[in-house]
Amino acid sequence: MQGVNCKKRGIRMLTKFETKSNRVKGLSFHSKRPWILASLHSGVIQLWDYRMGTLIDRFDEHEGPVRGVHFHKSQPLFVSGGDDYKIKVWNYKTHRCLFTLLGHLDYIRTVQFHDEHPWIVSASDDQTIRIWNWQSRTCISVLTGHNHYVMCASFHPKEELVVSASLDQTIRVWDISALRKKVAPADDLLRLGQMNTDLFGGIDAVVKYVLEGHDRGVNWASFHPSLPLIVSGADDRQVKIWRMNDTKAWEVDTLRGHMNNVSSVLFHAKQDIIVSNSEDKSIRVWDATKRTGIQTFRREHDRFWILAAHPEMNLLAAGHDSGMIVFKLERERPAFSVSGDTLYYVKDRFLHAYEFSSQKDSQVVSIRRPGSISLNQGPRTLSFSSTENAVLVCSDVDGGSYELYVIPKDVVGRGDYMQDARKGVGASAVFVARNRFAVLDKSSNQAVVKNLKNEIVKKSLLPIVTDAIYYAGTGNVLCRAEDRVVIFDLQQRLVVGELQTPSVKYVVWSSDMESVALLGKHAIIIASKKLVHRCTLQEAIRVKSGAWDEKGVFIYTTLNHIKYCLPNGDSGIIKTLDDTVYITKVSGNNIFVLDRDGKSRVISIDSTEYIFKLSLLQKRYDHVMNMIKNSQLCGQAVISYLQQKGFPEVALHFVKDEKTRFNLAIESGNIQIAVASAKEIDDKDHWYRLGVEALRQGNTSIVEYAYQRTKNFERLSFLYLITGNREKLSKMLRIAEIKNDIMGQFHNAMYLGDVHERIKILENAGQLSLAYVTAATHGLMEIAQRLSTELGENVPSLPEGKEHSLLLPPSPLICSGDWPLLRVMRGIFDNGLDTRKEAEDEEEEAANADWGEEELDIVDVDGMIQDADIVAELEDGTGNEDNEEGGWDLEDLELPADADTPKVSGNARALFVAPNPGMPVTQIWIQKSSLAGEHAAAGDFDTAMRLLTRQLGIQNFAPMKPLFMDLFVGSQTYINAFASAPAMSTAVEKNWSESASPNVRRPPALVVKFSQMDEKLKAAYRATTDGKFPEALRLFLNILYTIPLIVVDSRREVDEVKELIEIAREYVLGLKIEVKRKEIKDNSIQQQELAAYFTNCKLQKIHMRLVLTNAMTICYKGRNYATAANFARMLLESSPTEIQAKKARQVLQLCGDKKDANQLNYDYRNPFVVCGETYVPIYRGQKDASCPYCGARFVPAVEGHLCSVCELAVIGADASGLLCSPTQSR
Amino acid sequence: MAASPDLLFGLRNSFYLGAYQAAISSSDIPNLTANDALERDVIVQRSYIGIGSYKLVINEIDSSAPTALQAVKLLALYLSGSKEAAISSIQEWLSDAALGNNPVLRLIAGIIYMHEQDYNEALKHTNAGGTMELYALNVQIFIKMHRSDYAEKQLKMMQQIDEDHTLTQLANAWLDLAVGGSKIQEAYLIFQDFSEKYQMTGMVLNGKAVCCIHMGHFDEAESLLLEALNKDAKDAETLANLVVCSLHLGKPSTRFLNQLKLLHPDHMLVKRLATAEDNFDRAVQSIA
Repeated sequence: MQGVNCKKRGIRMLTKFETKSNRVKGLSFHSKRPWILASLHSGVIQLWDYRMGTLIDRFDEHEGPVRGVHFHKSQPLFVSGGDDYKIKVWNYKTHRCLFTLLGHLDYIRTVQFHDEHPWIVSASDDQTIRIWNWQSRTCISVLTGHNHYVMCASFHPKEELVVSASLDQTIRVWDISALRKKVAPADDLLRLGQMNTDLFGGIDAVVKYVLEGHDRGVNWASFHPSLPLIVSGADDRQVKIWRMNDTKAWEVDTLRGHMNNVSSVLFHAKQDIIVSNSEDKSIRVWDATKRTGIQTFRREHDRFWILAAHPEMNLLAAGHDSGMIVFKLERERPAFSVSGDTLYYVKDRFLHAYEFSSQKDSQVVSIRRPGSISLNQGPRTLSFSSTENAVLVCSDVDGGSYELYVIPKDVVGRGDYMQDARKGVGASAVFVARNRFAVLDKSSNQAVVKNLKNEIVKKSLLPIVTDAIYYAGTGNVLCRAEDRVVIFDLQQRLVVGELQTPSVKYVVWSSDMESVALLGKHAIIIASKKLVHRCTLQEAIRVKSGAWDEKGVFIYTTLNHIKYCLPNGDSGIIKTLDDTVYITKVSGNNIFVLDRDGKSRVISIDSTEYIFKLSLLQKRYDHVMNMIKNSQLCGQAVISYLQQKGFPEVALHFVKDEKTRFNLAIESGNIQIAVASAKEIDDKDHWYRLGVEALRQGNTSIVEYAYQRTKNFERLSFLYLITGNREKLSKMLRIAEIKNDIMGQFHNAMYLGDVHERIKILENAGQLSLAYVTAATHGLMEIAQRLSTELGENVPSLPEGKEHSLLLPPSPLICSGDWPLLRVMRGIFDNGLDTRKEAEDEEEEAANADWGEEELDIVDVDGMIQDADIVAELEDGTGNEDNEEGGWDLEDLELPADADTPKVSGNARALFVAPNPGMPVTQIWIQKSSLAGEHAAAGDFDTAMRLLTRQLGIQNFAPMKPLFMDLFVGSQTYINAFASAPAMSTAVEKNWSESASPNVRRPPALVVKFSQMDEKLKAAYRATTDGKFPEALRLFLNILYTIPLIVVDSRREVDEVKELIEIAREYVLGLKIEVKRKEIKDNSIQQQELAAYFTNCKLQKIHMRLVLTNAMTICYKGRNYATAANFARMLLESSPTEIQAKKARQVLQLCGDKKDANQLNYDYRNPFVVCGETYVPIYRGQKDASCPYCGARFVPAVEGHLCSVCELAVIGADASGLLCSPTQSR
Repeated sequence: MAASPDLLFGLRNSFYLGAYQAAISSSDIPNLTANDALERDVIVQRSYIGIGSYKLVINEIDSSAPTALQAVKLLALYLSGSKEAAISSIQEWLSDAALGNNPVLRLIAGIIYMHEQDYNEALKHTNAGGTMELYALNVQIFIKMHRSDYAEKQLKMMQQIDEDHTLTQLANAWLDLAVGGSKIQEAYLIFQDFSEKYQMTGMVLNGKAVCCIHMGHFDEAESLLLEALNKDAKDAETLANLVVCSLHLGKPSTRFLNQLKLLHPDHMLVKRLATAEDNFDRAVQSIA
């Protein structure tokens, strides 16, 4: 049934190569090279390169049809057998028939080499099968038994068996194991003697099985490559499958379908299928397990005669009445898509993800297998949306369809994850935006845009008749027609660009989406994102794949090469490939590829050549220079490339040969180098050319030099004339005189405007008349007189009616010297290395930004609806009755895309009742929270203050005003939504996470954060250490001001906050004492006391040491030695610095046992606290009052005052305690 | 309808995304139908309003212009300070049966009443919808009223008409921001899409930045906002959000705040701050 379906759909064969010729009777693939032998009915054997499509050779020595032909597996040999009863063994390298094996008495049908032994098996109409040793060139066995023509015979690929088919309606399997022993090389002579007996005895090859079942003559039989199976085809139009074991063989099944004699049949080596062909002009493909037809390929007029399979590759060939075809049953290109660092591809039934950077491969999702095994129904293309982690798998199933899978987040180890894909029909489907994909509906020529729920969002008629669509940037598709491609903006319905191209097969965008490569069968077209044509490359063999490298070079593969294409269209080969691969990504010198088995590989390449050319093209000569310096990049190819591309000045740097160097220098106008080279070469021609170039550049000194070197006096004179160098001109005159060159003398004299000299020269040359005329014309009457007498009667008459004038040499343009030249090129290559740094900078710019690499989660819809319910509950509090209508469960309607905006009738407006306003987020915050900071952020200062008063007894809020303001201001962001409408504000909530439910309000994100306190504390410590007491005091106070508004998340943090209050309080108290101490200058005793009290505050060690040192010094100075000594001891216990310790020891020593001079109100043995306001010690047991917030202690007298430490709370006020975390109230 | 190219698409898009100057300079589109030409004119004039050239709009639109343009002129009048005059005119026109149904007029009415914070009145004219802009405005009004359920309904309507419409996407982002939670990320993606597809406008950058702030990515928000500030150093929302962002980063924010106060004394943040200060003082007094 399947076969019929296929026929109806008319799936075309994947023809790779086709020839036209006489009837093809024999075929054989070469195992390594892309060659196939075709033996023709006309007697010719053709050798084709099916990849290049060329006829390599023809062998024409058989008389009459050649039916059998076979390549040797490893030797450069092939064997052929024909109707001339001859078996010929050929060497294709030397193009010679090595020898002919004679013995058969009738047409030879097939010939075959053994893979290992030096044997050939042949089948003949003489009813025998013969096995030959092609090394000894003898027949070693004759297999008799068939009683009609033997149509085919072949060795088993591994076992010592031969299968043959005959028109006697049988198939025979022969055991040839005895043969091997016989050919043991030792007894060559003996064996020859045995031959004849064997011929008739036939002990070495025996019939193992005779398979009967076909009703007519059997044309073909062949072994399964690995299983004990045989398949046969016969004139009864049937294909039969046979199984054998050690003892017997039996018929398994029959495949019916062919309408005429089956000519050839074989098992596919890699797939579980059988391929047969027949005189009914069809090739049929069968499922070997289910034994049903899968597919049928038909030819109009040609009967098929022969089939051959490639020994290694997935290729088949079939010979027919007018030629042959090489074809494939299934595409071998894995469907893949690259997204950022990941390659997604389909292998077997799984979608795999391959990470380029780590080269890690994992199965991601299991893909639905098509319902039945049929050919070419596997995935063809993939399209991936990285943000949604969704993948579209397109295949030819049902005439083109797609499946949409969403890859689960935690892919690791979830390879067997199964999911029901969303499916649809369409010729191609691609993502056009993060959550939209377009499906091509060929029948209506529309692009149907769908969302991830597979619902139609809109439809758009395409501008051209399209047979495939590709991604072309967000919202755009590239439509392909037979002869052109068009980029179409689905939203604007606009054609963005159009380009005439031969049929495009693949589309590859550069990572910046600025360039696109359109790959056809034999062409690569590079265009801009608007499809402006940049260049076209033609390839003789098929283009397979490609990718852009980071620098904008397109790297592509053909069947057998990796090549590059520069932006200007220059291309070249990077590497030769053994087998076809598909490029997935190019990264520096690494090319990532997928091979036909769906394995990812990395191929290292040498990118120097194309990078060099690219740098040249981009005029980044610093790079070029670098590469010249650092790599072995040389050779004629590069030089000629440079010359041809107009970079002779670069080529110059490669060349050692002086002549080439000179040529390049002239070409690039580099006179200096040209002069140097000319000197080396020193021949006339080069000097002359140097002169010409120098003249062109106006470099007169070089011109002069060149003329001098070639002794080109005439040119030299003329040069002097035009440059006005009279001195040199007269020198030239002398030279001409010496050389006796009259003409030269005359010229020079004329150039000099020296009439006397001219006359003299003319006179000396015997041209008296001319001399006279010259003299007379110039009014030199004396000389004229003299000459006229000499001339006598021959005095020429002077022309009348013309005015005499002196012929003056023209005034020169510039008096000697070279023309000024603008030098542009100089420097880049002479000091190219200096610019290296710049080059590095440039490279950084080239960092590419792939689009859409973020991977974000989407919430599931269910969660959303649930949350909506919560909100509804929340809002119940406001007594709103419209709640049931909350739009959350509204079904998505699928409206046709071209539906017009719904018309609204006017009276609807009258009925409208506006809903009551909902509850602002800030109000929700207030309701939910009893934390002052959150109330402040919500703008409810009143409650915030009340809370603080209640909790901490705070009364003085003035110092906290800026914090209140910051909290409030920081709680809302603004966005300009609708044009000219007021801006929208949105509340900033804290602890955002991807999975947070919408519509459930979280507490506000406060601008004062506990994490910032650490920083503040450090700054305060620093200020203390530096002795900036007012600054430190300000900072610590600020901490105290801030803490009441802080909100933390955990109990642990609450403790930390409380700890912080204490730290700050101690410092504030101590610092205030210190400030106070500095204010009083005259009272030494109080100073000592205050210094002593400061030591009672809990401080950091580093500060404590300073305080102790200070107290020690002051007390010592105040001659209170005992106290000073006590401080010294305390200091020594607090691990002091060297200096401090030294000082302390000194003090200790000096104090000895001396008593205090004055009585201080300070008893270090008796624990006490210092009153925050009066700064007197409150010893243990004495009454005191404390600040409800900071916990500072005071003498009872000041109760009811504002705490002078934190300056916020009222001393002794009732308070419930610090509340700074929601966890506290739980 | 399917294949005729939408000639005003680019213009509209620029306008919606706040690229007013771009909208103005790309408004010279040939071969427009009369309807399209009018829409073009409306967008251009509104773009001028968008960049604050109220006077120009008021002068350019004369009394013979169609209703839609007249409505735009009223908006310019309103925004330039003549509030009462504008409101009384618009009320008069809205009650005129012949004019009252003009979608542009209704839209302008909605905008004006939004400024007046009279959302009920605004909705009276806009709730019927009819154009994408009206729906989008409704979404915003409902968000302002903290009724995201209603906003959602409006958005659904927009999505049914054209899910990929710029306004639909924008309104979706607004709503996402308003409802918060995981939706913030979707809003971010929408703005991200815009920035990939069209030019980076201050609005888009602000949108992204606001999403970042909500997601707690203050550093990224800051760099986006500074980029927006480079594009337009006077943009009110950019400055306001910079104030917010700086506060969260613990960086000084006064400079931005002062700039905002100076350039946009009417900005919501400035007003809120002023009220807050009053509230604070009042609260202090009530406590004491």
